[in-house]
Amino acid sequence: MAEEETVLLELREVSRFYRMGEVTVEALKDVSLVLRAGELVVVLGPSGSGKSTLLNILGGMDLPTQGQVFWKGEELTRAGESRLTRYRREEVGFIFQFFNLIPDLTARENVELAAALVEDPLPVEEVLEEVGLKEQMDHFPSQLSGGEQQRVAIARALVKNPRLLLCDEPTGALDYQMGKTVLGLLARVNRERSTTVVIVTHNTAIGAMGKRMVRMRSGQIAEITENASPLPPERIEW
Amino acid sequence: MVMLRILARRLGRTIRSTRGPFLAITAVIAIGVLVYIAMNSAYNWLEGSQQSFYQDYDFADYYFHVVRAPQEVIRRIEAVPGVARASGRIQKDLPILKPDGSRATGRLTGYNLPMEGEVNRICLLSGRLFEKYPHGGGLEALVDPQYAAANGLAPGDKITVVAEGRQVFITVVGTATGPEFVYPMKDAAAWIPEPERFGIVMLPQNQLQQILGLSGQINQVLIKMTPGADEAEAAAEIGEILRPYGVLADYPRKQQLSHAVLQGEMDQLRATSRTLPAIFLGIAAAVQWVMLGRLVKSQRQQIGVMKALGYSNWQVLFYYTSYALAVALAGGILGIILGLFSASAIFRTYALYFNLPPAAGGLDYATAGYALLISLGVGMASGMAASRGVLAVRPAESMRPSPPLRIRKTLLENWRWAWGLLSAAWKMSLRSIGRQRMRFVMVVTGVIFAVSLLIVAFFMNDAIDYMLEEHFYKEQKYDFLVRFSSPLSAGELLYLSRLSGVQKAEPLLEIPAAVYFGGRKEEHLLVGLQPGTEMKEIADAAGEPAAIPEEGVLLNKRLADKLGIKIGDNIEVETRLGIGPARRAYLKVVGFTQKLVGAESYLSLSEANWLLGERDAASGAMLRVDPGQAEAVEKELNAMTGVHMVLSREKELNNFLQYLDTALYFTAVMAAFAVVLGFAIIYNAALVNFSERRRELALLRVMGYTVRETASVMWRETILQALLGVALGLPAGRLLTAAYLQAVESDLYSFPAVIYPDTYFLAAAGGIFFTAAAQLLAARGIKRLDLAEILRSQD
Repeated sequence: MAEEETVLLELREVSRFYRMGEVTVEALKDVSLVLRAGELVVVLGPSGSGKSTLLNILGGMDLPTQGQVFWKGEELTRAGESRLTRYRREEVGFIFQFFNLIPDLTARENVELAAALVEDPLPVEEVLEEVGLKEQMDHFPSQLSGGEQQRVAIARALVKNPRLLLCDEPTGALDYQMGKTVLGLLARVNRERSTTVVIVTHNTAIGAMGKRMVRMRSGQIAEITENASPLPPERIEW
Repeated sequence: MVMLRILARRLGRTIRSTRGPFLAITAVIAIGVLVYIAMNSAYNWLEGSQQSFYQDYDFADYYFHVVRAPQEVIRRIEAVPGVARASGRIQKDLPILKPDGSRATGRLTGYNLPMEGEVNRICLLSGRLFEKYPHGGGLEALVDPQYAAANGLAPGDKITVVAEGRQVFITVVGTATGPEFVYPMKDAAAWIPEPERFGIVMLPQNQLQQILGLSGQINQVLIKMTPGADEAEAAAEIGEILRPYGVLADYPRKQQLSHAVLQGEMDQLRATSRTLPAIFLGIAAAVQWVMLGRLVKSQRQQIGVMKALGYSNWQVLFYYTSYALAVALAGGILGIILGLFSASAIFRTYALYFNLPPAAGGLDYATAGYALLISLGVGMASGMAASRGVLAVRPAESMRPSPPLRIRKTLLENWRWAWGLLSAAWKMSLRSIGRQRMRFVMVVTGVIFAVSLLIVAFFMNDAIDYMLEEHFYKEQKYDFLVRFSSPLSAGELLYLSRLSGVQKAEPLLEIPAAVYFGGRKEEHLLVGLQPGTEMKEIADAAGEPAAIPEEGVLLNKRLADKLGIKIGDNIEVETRLGIGPARRAYLKVVGFTQKLVGAESYLSLSEANWLLGERDAASGAMLRVDPGQAEAVEKELNAMTGVHMVLSREKELNNFLQYLDTALYFTAVMAAFAVVLGFAIIYNAALVNFSERRRELALLRVMGYTVRETASVMWRETILQALLGVALGLPAGRLLTAAYLQAVESDLYSFPAVIYPDTYFLAAAGGIFFTAAAQLLAARGIKRLDLAEILRSQD
């Protein structure tokens, strides 16, 4: 099977319920999804559609109430806390809407913090150069713009050389231009490293850059659309 | 009203959600209030009792001891300007023969009847007052309650006293106490109570004069001065009147032994009641300041909303301050309840040792009131100081994300090579410390105090161990110290050395004397020993063994410091033995001696005899006996009529060890307080740290750091604070101990500033223990972090 055909992550009829006092909230209901190596998938949906819950489960931050999750054939659903931690450590990189950089560390040190987790990280300075922050390596987050901070966050996620990059509203806190820059970076990472990238967003325009677009509504997948010709981020408008 | 109800409900929820730190700070405040109330109540009780007792029973302002004077001399003394009243009496220490063959010493004290108008009257505690001429003849006496209890004496029981070589039987008719017997002490060396072996026997003056063959005579004069009188001038004039009768001693009330001990205890209480609560309340305020400051910061948005709704700055400020007031109130009330119980326990302990009238005790509600006010004041101050950030919040700005933290590089980063060796996680912790310097200093200071208090607590054991070792094992090499009713010649001592079981007997000559130097005078005790004595090891001022000089005197260092005497000086001494006329002579100070207990100076036996104008006299002997023969020897010694008192080193040691229980209790309580204090500081600091770094900690978990690895990020800061606090707390504890010793030092004894290495180790271990416990507790939350929720939200 070709690289891009290899199934990395599979969700089978996954449901996630939360008990809030008397009320049970069905955040996810019977969701089945397959992520393949080298894909760029965009998950779309309004607030409350379940896309964030889906991301939590993909990233090993949460386990489903029902259903199964498989990572390269290994079932994660029954995994203990230490297995999930190892999964996040070795296989997953996260990017958040509000960057979540450590304010007490410089850009370089924020990336080093992630590099210390794996045996064979990518060279820190190279990764920072790759995201265009060669001159700002020794700046603190307070000395960086929003776009620069998000690029540090991307470098931090990449330095571990993960198989899967999960992005939760990566452009949500950025202006239009910076947002496009960040999206361009994500697309390049997907293209050049064959890292599977999942972008969760409410911005439908971004959906055009993904090879697959998953629409969520009320905790379920409403539709999955294959995109034979994903748009490069520079051509996306919103 | 609705607004208040809503805010009150919200306050309740905030307290519930922060109950860990709330309880921790409450505990610290409670301890501060408890100590304040317990010590101040005890002090007020003692002071009130002391004042009213002294007043009601006319405690003498000045004492004179003479060899013998006619009663009529009192009238001449009362005519001296400044003298309000004077009383004359007989007082003499006589041996009491107990039914089991052992001996005690009774301080027989005579009282004129009727007692109204007399100085140093007694207060009847049980039974009835003695009669001048009892029905059916015989002699009646009251005894002090501790002696009665220790010896199982009840009204109607008889005690046997040896006076002038004869056995005299006295019927006990009850118990009593007087202002001069609040703490019955035989002499300056006997500051640990020995109620089994020493008691006060109070009887009519005429009966005591008769027993001693001193009809119409007195050997003590008690003076009450008029208010504002020149005491020194009056005393000098009285001294002149009494000179022909052989003045043995004269001193003001403050040197009277019982009063000195009581006053010393009160001074100690006062000192502790001011410093210890201040430490606890101060630290509680600082911890609360940090915690509330964090709370205000984290609730910026909510504050903005409240202001947008129309709440004024002061209303919002008061809301946050009310959290601090709630803590202060809870801690204050808890402290008051515990403090009032503790005060009762302290009263009961004091009642064991001090003969104060029972009616004078009681709970001190005024002190409790002050304690609550202080607690609330501290809460208000720390609350307002921490919450003043509220004033700067503008509603619109508060809705926006908080401005990013401005990070500066720390000093450590100047050492690039060292900085480069550190991991990113270490750099995180060090920069965080650098950013929050005030908080770091506050936590370290708190740990320093906690560790210092641990050292002061444990030091007591060390001091007592040291005193035991020095006083009972090193200094005293004899098994028995025998005192004779009147001086014997050394030749007569041979009889003692030939008793079965006695290995060796050495003579000693104890001479009460007044020491004059630089225009000042002090009452003192000179002890003549054989040079090269095997029975006592004398230490010099440096603690090294010192030999008894053939000529001159080894002067007690405390006395030397008091009068400003140096080695080589000549001091004038006036003997006060009571046998023969008082003799004055000059002695050269050839060295100093240091004693933990008691205050004597040493000279050779021949020099002491020369002072008295004698050749071969001894007032007592030190005996070493065969092991296993001690009981038999003691029995024989007690049976000798010429023997006034037999002191067994072993019994003295046992008595001392019993007294230690109180000291150990003090250690345990102080150590517990110190641990609570240290725990509260670290716990709150760790919680605040955790709360501020939730986002970072969640991020680390998401990145793939394990719970333990994530906790170690918090640990690093805590451990740096704790290690620094412990490292500085150890020498600080030494200083605090020295300061404490200076505050409690008295003429009667001094605790040595001895802290064994074990104590430092224990204190450090205690510091690490409460740090680890607090950190573990605070870090529990890492496992429960809602990773996605935290990282999704904005700061």
